[in-house]
Formats: sequence, structure tokens, C-alpha cells
Amino acid sequence: MGKHRIIAIILTGVMTLVIIFTGREFKDMHADIPIFPSDDLAEVKMLSDYFEGLKNTPGDTQVYVFEGEEEGGSVLILGGTHPNEPSSNLTSILFVENLKVDKGRVFVITESNKSAFTHNDPQEGSPHGYYIETASGQRFFKYGSRATNPIHQWPDPDVYVHASSGQQLSGSETRNLNRAYPGREDGTLTEKVAYGITSLINKEQIDLTIDLHEASPEYPVINAMVAHETSADIASFAILEMQFQSIEIALEMSPKNLHGLSHRELGDFTETYPLLMETANPAQGRLRGATSAELIVEGIDPIYEKAGNAGFLFVKFDENGHPLNERVARHTTGIIEIVKAFNCLNSGKEIIIGGIPGYDDMLQQGIGAYLR
Amino acid sequence: MTLIYRLIILLLVTVFIKMLYSEKNIQNQINISLVLIPLVMRLLMIK
Ligand SMILES: [Zn+2]
Repeated sequence: MGKHRIIAIILTGVMTLVIIFTGREFKDMHADIPIFPSDDLAEVKMLSDYFEGLKNTPGDTQVYVFEGEEEGGSVLILGGTHPNEPSSNLTSILFVENLKVDKGRVFVITESNKSAFTHNDPQEGSPHGYYIETASGQRFFKYGSRATNPIHQWPDPDVYVHASSGQQLSGSETRNLNRAYPGREDGTLTEKVAYGITSLINKEQIDLTIDLHEASPEYPVINAMVAHETSADIASFAILEMQFQSIEIALEMSPKNLHGLSHRELGDFTETYPLLMETANPAQGRLRGATSAELIVEGIDPIYEKAGNAGFLFVKFDENGHPLNERVARHTTGIIEIVKAFNCLNSGKEIIIGGIPGYDDMLQQGIGAYLR
Repeated sequence: MTLIYRLIILLLVTVFIKMLYSEKNIQNQINISLVLIPLVMRLLMIK
């Protein structure tokens, strides 16, 4: 046997080992992480219960349903629209694991774009996930991609044409759930997921829909609540209450000519009051250093600190950064205040919830204290 | 459509493996095996 043949055999062996080890890691991203719902959970539905077309697809996702003793209004919390925005997914998990409902109904989706949780954005060097210390030990949470996995939806067109408006966007946005609303029955997987969520809102007559997001600290719409015209009153009330608690948050109105977003289309196509919230995630930004699990959890980055001191960012950024505890606490408080504002404006249709920790408690104890 | 895509990848993988075993330059052999890793993972629809 020639020398080059032996080298070829050795290389084949090494290659196979690399494929087995890394392949297993990639495959693990497709498995669900365990979630431990609170005792008040009524049932776990699937999005395909509302839209058959999602059955046996990678877009089908769990819908956690909580029902109070008394009839009232209903709220849908959307976590994980963009799986590279971890405070969104984690806040929704925190609700599933702690929520108590006395009146009305609460629906929570923790992985709105489930397919996007199965991979990372290329060339970003993101870890597959991060760990949080809880009473029951260290728990793993996924850090995914902004968009649907191309394994599940391909090829991307050069130009993405939003179905109901004809708006043109860059081709990669075709896999972005928050550009796909209200969705399409016979569309791409991403459009089907959006259609599933729109169907859920219609079938369950959801009064209030809260979509949780994060953005990089240099993005102008940050520490903000974005409201459709119909939800402007609710948002204004909630923001005032948050500002009284010294939480800086701004109101942004949903642009009428920007299509496919939850805060636009769900307001235009359904009866729900849609709202979207953004917190600051340095792990997502262009100025960040090494992208590690620590950066995701601690939210501390020296370059962002410099940029913050120089006044280049849209949020304050000091040596304490923006830890996940703070970002989840903001979203949590935001949801509580939105629900309270809805209750003020819709007497008789109140949604009375409890069991969710307050802002200061979460900062002091850390989110791990409230996960099972 | 995905099936045609995977058949094209299978064709490429076959060609590269043949090349790996006929190539006489070690540097090139290493390069071929590096290219093969993502190709095989896409063929299996892992990544
Ligand atoms: Zn987002």
C-alpha cells in the first residue's frame, strides 16, 4: 500500500470522528430542553392544534395554557421568536414555571420559532447555549439563531416578498418569523408558523399578545415597548408604571408601512392588542468581543462599556453591563404592567395573575432562584 | 427539490472521496478532507 493511500485512510478516520462528534452536538440542538410547569398549568397544546399544516413539521411548538377559576380576558406571551435573544425565551420559561392564574387565561409559547432553536447564525461564533444555577443544579438553555434553520426551509429567494403587503425585503428575511405575520396556510415553514400563531389568536380570542425580543445596544429601538395604534393606551399606562419604578423604557409606535411584524400585522389582521418589548443584549451586537456563554448571562463587555461612555449607544452601558437577570426582570415587569393596564381599561375582562417575582427580587436573587 | 439537492451533494462527496484516494500531495489530501466534513454533514442533513 502506497504512502498516500495510508494518509487517505488516516484522514478518512479523522474526518469520520469529527463528523460523529460535532454531528452529535448539532443533533442535540434538535432535542427539547426540559421545562417544569407550575401546578396551575391546565394543559400543553401544540401550535398544530390550531393549524393542521404544522403537524409533524419542525415548526410545531408547545403552547402552555393556564386557566383561572373565574372567566376573564386572555393573554398570549410569545417567547423565542428570535432564539438569539435569550431574555425572551427565558422570561417565557419563567412564566411557565411560576405562573398562578386566578382569573382569565394565559397562553405561553416558549419557542415560537422552534426550528431557529436548532442551529446558530453562521459566522457569529455563538455558543449553543448557556447555563444558569438553580436550586436543582445547573440548567442548560439554548441560544439559537434569528432565523428558521435552512435545513428546514430552503432555498432563500434573492428578494423576500411579504405575502399580504407585497413589501420587499432581503432574501434572508424569508426565514424571520417576525417578518412573516399574519402568515400563510400554503407558505414557507416560517409563514406557516406565523399563520399558526395568528390562528391561535383568532380561535382562542386572545385579547392581548406580548412578543418578547432583544436587540444589540447600538440599535435605536431598545429598552422600548412597540405598540400598534390599538394598543397605544395599554402601552402608555404600562410604561408610566414602569417609569415610576425607575425602569427606563420608551414607547415606540408600530410603523404603518413596515410589514410582517407582530406589532403591525396582528393588530391589523386580528382583534388582539399586540405589543412588543426589547431589551439590550450585547451578545447580539457588532461591537462585542468573544461571544461566550458568560457574555450572554453576565452581559458585560469592555468595548460596549467604551462605546457607552462615548455616547454611541441607545442604552446606558457601564461596567455592570446588562446581565440576563436584569433583562428578564424588565420583560417580566413589562408583562405584569401591561396586564395591569389592560385590566384598568377592560373592567369585567380582567386577567389576574400571580406567582411572578418582582423586578428588585429578580435582580437580587437572580433568575435561577425562580427556576425549578 | 431537497432530494435533488442531496443527490448533487452525494455526487460531490463521491468525487471528493475518489480524489482523496488518488491525490499524491498531502496538503491537497488534507484540504479535501476538510471540505468533506461540512459536505457529509449537509448530506445527512445534520447541519
Ligand atoms: Zn427580535
